Amino acid sequence: MFALGEKALLWPERSTLFVADVHLGKDSAMIASSIPVPLGATTESLCRLSRLIEQTGVSSLVLLGDLWHAKAGRSDQVYGEFVVWTRMHAGVKMTLVEGNHDIKAGPLTAETRIEEVSEPFRMSPFVLCHVPQVSDDGYVLAGHIHPGVVLEGFGRQSIKLPCFWFGNRMCVLPAFGEFTGCARVAPVEGDRVLVVANGQVLPVQTVVAEP
Amino acid sequence: MAMEPILRLEEWFRSRGWAPFEFQKEVWQAYLNGESGLIHSATGTGKTLGAWLGPLAEWMRENPDENSGDHAKKRADAPGLRVLWITPLRALAADTELSLKLPLEALGIYWTVEIRTGDTSQSLRKRQAEQLPTALITTPESLILMLMRKDSDELLRDLRCIVVDEWHELLSTKRGVQTELALARVRRIKPGVKTWGVSATLGNLEGATESLLGAGVRGTTVLGHMAKEIVIDSVLPKNITRFPWSGHFGTSMIPAVVEAIDGSGTCLIFTNTRSQTEIWHQQILARRPEWRDQVGIHHGSLDRETRDKVENDIKTGKLRAVVCTSSLDLGVDFSPVDRVLQVGSPKGVARLLQRAGRSGHRPGVPSRVTCVPTHAFELVDIASAREAALDGRIERRENLSKPLDVLSQHLVSIAVGPGFRPQELLEEVRTTVAYQDLTDEEWEWVLDFVVRGGETLRAYPAFRRVVMGVDGVYRVEDRDIAQRHRLTVGTIMSDMAMSVQLVHGARLGTVEESFLSRLSPGDRFMFAGRIVEFVQIRDMTAWVRKATNRSGVVPRWAGGRVPLTTELSHAIRQELEHVKYGDLRSPEMHSLEPILVLQAKWSAIPAEDELLIERVETSEGHHLFFYPFEGRLVHEGLAALFAYRISQRQRITFSIACNDYGLELLAPKQAWLEDAIEDGLFSDQNLASDIVESLNASEMAKRQFREVARIAGLVFQGYPWMTKSAKQVQATSGLFFDVFARYDPKNMLLQQAEREVLERQLEQSRMGVALRRLQQAKLLITEPPKPTPMAFPILVDRLRGTITSEHINDRIEKMSLRLEKEADLT
Repeated sequence: MFALGEKALLWPERSTLFVADVHLGKDSAMIASSIPVPLGATTESLCRLSRLIEQTGVSSLVLLGDLWHAKAGRSDQVYGEFVVWTRMHAGVKMTLVEGNHDIKAGPLTAETRIEEVSEPFRMSPFVLCHVPQVSDDGYVLAGHIHPGVVLEGFGRQSIKLPCFWFGNRMCVLPAFGEFTGCARVAPVEGDRVLVVANGQVLPVQTVVAEP
Repeated sequence: MAMEPILRLEEWFRSRGWAPFEFQKEVWQAYLNGESGLIHSATGTGKTLGAWLGPLAEWMRENPDENSGDHAKKRADAPGLRVLWITPLRALAADTELSLKLPLEALGIYWTVEIRTGDTSQSLRKRQAEQLPTALITTPESLILMLMRKDSDELLRDLRCIVVDEWHELLSTKRGVQTELALARVRRIKPGVKTWGVSATLGNLEGATESLLGAGVRGTTVLGHMAKEIVIDSVLPKNITRFPWSGHFGTSMIPAVVEAIDGSGTCLIFTNTRSQTEIWHQQILARRPEWRDQVGIHHGSLDRETRDKVENDIKTGKLRAVVCTSSLDLGVDFSPVDRVLQVGSPKGVARLLQRAGRSGHRPGVPSRVTCVPTHAFELVDIASAREAALDGRIERRENLSKPLDVLSQHLVSIAVGPGFRPQELLEEVRTTVAYQDLTDEEWEWVLDFVVRGGETLRAYPAFRRVVMGVDGVYRVEDRDIAQRHRLTVGTIMSDMAMSVQLVHGARLGTVEESFLSRLSPGDRFMFAGRIVEFVQIRDMTAWVRKATNRSGVVPRWAGGRVPLTTELSHAIRQELEHVKYGDLRSPEMHSLEPILVLQAKWSAIPAEDELLIERVETSEGHHLFFYPFEGRLVHEGLAALFAYRISQRQRITFSIACNDYGLELLAPKQAWLEDAIEDGLFSDQNLASDIVESLNASEMAKRQFREVARIAGLVFQGYPWMTKSAKQVQATSGLFFDVFARYDPKNMLLQQAEREVLERQLEQSRMGVALRRLQQAKLLITEPPKPTPMAFPILVDRLRGTITSEHINDRIEKMSLRLEKEADLT
């Protein structure tokens, strides 16, 4: 399994790519509520996914929830663009583990040919979820919380970055979408954290705080 | 034959055993002559009656026979709305209502006086919807909401006068600009309406008057009753060598303060931040538990009821003391207050005078304010503020120039209401001082922004905020948009605030969301005079419970930092110059002498024409401390500029901090200071472009964008009842900033955020002046053995920015993540 700087996990053995929290249509949902944001985030997210699919040549893509941000964002124009995008990648099997936003937004149309499943969904040895949780059935891959960490350095420096957070029994992926932020998480001793900066995945040094 | 109105007013004064002040008679006469203007004087000196009795005299003149005082009449029989009384704080409304009602009965005037704010009850709102009172006391936001009614023209039919109370508080804020726009609107609906402002004394009265009355309009400026004798003194630390060099709490002064409370009647204790208020309240009670019911607490985050009770208890003399912030600076007349204490630096000359004016309302008693330093160098602030106050060097308040966020909010407001025709509204908007120089291009941009969402959304039909009707009038047609906009109107004043509520208990008040987001469950903090433990955030409310364990209290939450004013910064430079030449001219400076000696021994004390730079190495890294003495706002800009300029010469990352005296650049390695100076560190060449670069590097514009995004209606506050789908269109202003910067970099709101940092936050012109002064200054570069008394307060500041010229990968390589030990689950 490889963590990629594009905020995705690649599982070469099964030719599968995992991404979480794409939040398509967040910009258009705002516009539908007459909040004037420029469009572009949705298109950019789809372009990045396309590039990633092409570069890795995977045959399946697993979306770990919150593919769509809101129903209001599915305007004809934006949803149409999305349908065209799925057609462009018709050779890739896509599975969506429903997240809280997807459930609110309602099911996708059949023409997208995306299989929608509810969490927890077994894909041995993994258990695919949206909300981080532990499972007796295997190692959990999840999203939902848009994890980020704050690194600290000499000279009182600090920097906040999105990250992959690998624990004993689960891994939380960073949010893939353009128009998403990250929330600080608190990893504990034994966890592994990889930060994403500048399109690269970087390991971080850790120190264990004395209680 | 009815009596001359002014004589009747004088008679009413006599009947109460008073005599009107000359300035009051002057205002009444000017009002009757149809003039508008500004009354300025100290707090609690009869300004309210000065402004209020003019409209009453006008009524008596127009209705000479209506003096029977028939108070059996019903509410509906009272005359329609004649006077709008705008107050900046809801807290002032109740007190104002009492003052306005006072003379009515005796003068035989059957007017109704009512309040309309966010706190007004549903039943009164309903009655007001049918008929407004004769005089309505309201806030700028509620006035805008009134103008958002379709029948606003009809409501103002009988209006004669608008009074804007505490105008100095609104001036130079975006709420002030909002008020200017509302006034312009009212004047267009009802030409000939008179406007009177009531203000504390300012350094630039003409400008203040013009902002109130409209661009190019000259009004009458009436000088009110000037403050009596003012005494400014301080509580000196008993042992200065043990007195802290930094910090906000200075709780070693508590015994002296308790003594001062004990020895006087009702006492107001002003602090500079809300958290400081909480801590002082706790500490005073810790020393005197028997005062639990006699020492109150008052600040802007507390719940309405709590504040009302405290205000009332002061007036009735029930309380021995109240610890408060600027929330008690204004209006409300507290005659029983005998003594005012100011904890921490006074920060400004006008502010100190205003606070002093809260005490000694009894005749013959001077106003006295006693300053309580919380760390050593605040003694300098106090001594300097007194010198400036005695010299009459009082701050100016400059008007803001055309903030486009406020304008776009206003356009939507009018569109929600009766709607507008662009050309007419443009003319109206340009009658305000704030927008008199608005260009056609800027106007078009704002119009396009509210109608089509701006350039990038032009081809996107789903966006319909404001829609042009077939009659050429622009309106908001969508009810949800109208409703959301009504909620946005009130948000100019408040940062994103969240309710704080006890689990299964009362709502305590509100706290900035930014503070709450840093808390983990179990963290303790002080709030509303008690120590609470954070439980969780749910439904836009922070749930807390009473803390059982008092240890490990998070000492403070945000609550605004007040920067030193220019006047006070100048006064401080002069004071230090005196010190340098051995002239310790005040008790404060005498008290500080041992610290000053230490500062001189380790480093130096700069004269007015010198710039002191200290280079120190500690376990944290290499520090550079610069002391321009220009106030925090300018130092923020200078710190970013210096860090940026040095980082152009070497790969380095600075953590920057500043206070009112100076700034610090901290780096893991030594910065090439001398080379940078030689190369024009203080040069004003390329200043404009270097500032913009450093501003981007330090993300200051991004921070400023928070306010802009809120006012322009991008980000809106959550409400407990808000539905999930409403929450789905929420995003942080930081995310909006990134999206705009990426997909619509020419967006004028982005440019405005940048301009606001340049003009207001950084005070670009002040930075230019400061740099020219620094270029001329003699440099004193010292290498003290450890951080000096002057450096210390900056060193401990946790609020830091970063400027870097290093690659992010290189930085990450040198940093680390702190992991918690795995929780013991057994």
